[in-house]
Parts: sequence; structure tokens; C-alpha cells
Amino acid sequence: MIRVLTMLAAVTALTVLLGLGVQTAQAQSAALTSEQIERIKSNCTSIKSTLNQLHVSDALLRVNRGQVYESLAAKLMDPFNARLSNNRLDSKATSAVTSSYRNALDSFRNDYRAYEEKLSSAIRIDCTNQPELFYTTVEQARTNRTKVHDDVLKLSRYIDDYRSAVDDFLLNFERISQ
Amino acid sequence: MADQIILKPDDDMTFWDKHRLSLLLIITVLIAIILTVVSMIAYNVSGTAQLDLSRPGLSSVSDKVDKGDKITEYSNFGPVNKDSINEFTKLYDEQSKKAKAVDAFNGDPLNPETLEFGVNSSE
Repeated sequence: MIRVLTMLAAVTALTVLLGLGVQTAQAQSAALTSEQIERIKSNCTSIKSTLNQLHVSDALLRVNRGQVYESLAAKLMDPFNARLSNNRLDSKATSAVTSSYRNALDSFRNDYRAYEEKLSSAIRIDCTNQPELFYTTVEQARTNRTKVHDDVLKLSRYIDDYRSAVDDFLLNFERISQ
Repeated sequence: MADQIILKPDDDMTFWDKHRLSLLLIITVLIAIILTVVSMIAYNVSGTAQLDLSRPGLSSVSDKVDKGDKITEYSNFGPVNKDSINEFTKLYDEQSKKAKAVDAFNGDPLNPETLEFGVNSSE
């Protein structure tokens, strides 16, 4: 009985895997026309040059943006929350925004890493011999870059939210102090 | 009584007695290889590789890293009053302005049309 069930499970898994493989191959061939393949092959050098330039400029952007985002949390948000706590004042709202900001910063780091790895893979692929694989990898890198941009937008929103939380705190503080 | 060094005749030595030095060298090299592999994995998995602008191809921009951005750290300790909060908001506004000044990673430079292999790209 167990043997039959194991075999059934194996057959089902194999079918699903084969189905996924066929679907992926179909999706790739449907997404890429023969004209596009030819264009990738003929423009391979210039496309790679563009990707290399993007790789370099994005690496610098990542380092500079990362520094600004990190210092905002470590040198301003955390110390301000700590000062409120040290004075036994309510820091729940500012701490909650800081926590969300830190999570968004983690996503930014992870998504950038995924994007950089895909872009580097695309640069390493020989687009003259493997145009389909090159196209798929560039598309994946493109999706990952969009995620990084979404993270940047999220971080900007949390920066504004934190400022609003500080304003709210100040209003309450003034009201209580009077 | 002084300790004496007893030398065994060659015939009495085991295989490991004879190859101790070679074994030591092999183990040393193996440990070095394992530590190097572990370091490389940590370097790539931790995301340090993405921040390393000394990698081949990225060294051209390594001198363009913003090193002058020295932000004043707000102190954890001290009183909380209107002045200290205003001092914080001033620092915060300066830094948040820098953080939001650039819409980083915007645009779509990896669009097939931009890279000139899209469906509508012309030669």
C-alpha cells in the first residue's frame, strides 16, 4: 500500500515538474520572437555594454543610498526613541514606525542583492549563443529592480510617517506640559 | 634522571610516523581551503559583495562614494522638551531631505525596448 502511494506521489510530482517545464519553455518562446532573437544576437556587445554601465552606476547608488538610509535609523530614529524611553515618555508610535522602516531597509538590501545577482548573471551569459536565456535573465533582473524601487518608495513613506509621529508626539507633549 | 630521546629504528615506524610532516601540510592546506570557502560564502550571502566597490569593474566608481556625509548623531540621553525636540526635527529634516532627494532605481532601463531588442525596437 505504502509502495503504491509512494509511486503515485512520484508520478504526480514528475507530471507537475514536466508540466512546469513545458509551460516555462512555452512562455519563453511565446515571449521572444525570432526577430528579437536576431536583434539580441546582433546587438549583443552594445546591450552588454549598457548592462555593465547600469551595473556600475546602480552599485554606487546602492552604497550611497544605503548609507543615508542606515544613518537615518541608527543616528536619529533609534536615539530619539531611546531618549523618549529614558524619560519615561510614550515612544510606541515612533518605535513602531522605526521597526517598519528597519523591515523595509532589510527588504531593500535583500531585493538589491537578488537584483544584482540576476544582472551579473545576465552580463555573464553569452547572448550570441544563448539569446533566450539572456532575455529571461534580463527580464528577471528587471522585475527585481522594480522591487528595489518599490522598497525605496516604501522607505520614503516611512521617513514621512516618522516625521508625522514626532509631530504628533510634540502636540501631545505640549498639551500635557501646559 | 634526565629524559632520554628514544629513536626507533625505521622498521619499527608506522606509516603515520613516517609521513607526519606530509600529513601536517595536507591538513593545513585543507583547513585553509575550508576557511577560504566559508569566507567566500559569507561574503556573498551576507550582501557584502554588493557593497564592495573594489570588485573588478566597479573600482572606477569607488572614489565617488559619498564620504562627506557626516550626520550629527542625536544623543540618547538628555531632557525631552520643546527645544530638544526642535533640535531633533532640524537634524531629521536635513537627513530626510537627502534620503528623498533621489528617486533611486526609478525608470525602466532593463526594458527590452530601451535595450533595443523589444518587439517594437527598430534597428
